[in-house]
Amino acid sequence: MTTVRHLIRNKGRVWTFAPEEPALRALKLMAEKKIGAVLIMEAEKVVGIFSERDFARAAAVNPSLSPNTPLQELMTHEVYYVSPDQTVDECMALMTARHIRHLPVVEEHQLVSVISIGDVVKSVLAEKESDIKGLEDYIWVNLI
Amino acid sequence: MTTVKHILMEKGHVVWSVSPHAAVKDALHLLAEKKIGAVLVVEESKILGIFSERDYVRLVADAGALAQDTPVHEVMTHPIYFVTPDQKLEDCMSLMTAKHIRHLPVMENGKLVGLISIGDVVKWLIEDKVTTIKGLENYILGRGFSQ
Repeated sequence: MTTVRHLIRNKGRVWTFAPEEPALRALKLMAEKKIGAVLIMEAEKVVGIFSERDFARAAAVNPSLSPNTPLQELMTHEVYYVSPDQTVDECMALMTARHIRHLPVVEEHQLVSVISIGDVVKSVLAEKESDIKGLEDYIWVNLI
Repeated sequence: MTTVKHILMEKGHVVWSVSPHAAVKDALHLLAEKKIGAVLVVEESKILGIFSERDYVRLVADAGALAQDTPVHEVMTHPIYFVTPDQKLEDCMSLMTAKHIRHLPVMENGKLVGLISIGDVVKWLIEDKVTTIKGLENYILGRGFSQ
């Protein structure tokens, strides 16, 4: 069973912003790093997540929205997170049920990584594929 | 083997689209209202591109402004990849992962018949694999050590 710990071994650093920083600063970094979301931290605690969707939805509702609006006004406050010992299947279930694309990974109250739906999907599919191969080998061996 | 056709049978064939001359604010409204991440850009039943949340936030990052009156054709992604109803979900997943895209229009005989998202593909693929694993396990339990 693949765990989150296995998945985050080769992940790069986590990009974070303070709640009062302007949205535009985060959007520029997201474009540069080709990522879809950043975490909002205050006193070393995760207080929110800011994604492409948060900004696109806010701009749809408010045509006079300033790109320099503080992140705390646009971020999603309710952040689901996982621990390194959880399985990728659990992450997939959480992401599908909540319609979210990113999950912070927290260990002993410290943020250690962020995983995206792309990371999880790749891993879940590889794992299921290898289960199937294993079972097929088992059948084959047992039939001779 | 599950194909794109199976997703469309459940999801339906409705595809939301905007004109290339529409302002991005209109496209954003449609995305928010329909709770979707991308719309196709269509003119005279020709698909010109796709416009996603990502295209919009990249525009804002570049422009440093909301740029809501920008015509969609200036920021849409094109050319676009598409699939046919008979393609396997594994192929769709590989294409989406390799090209970092989240949406694929479905074309049949030159006609647009649907749009699938990475969420649709993942859901079906995982169900597929779980079914295969259950089937193999039952087979082993039925014929294995007991004989």
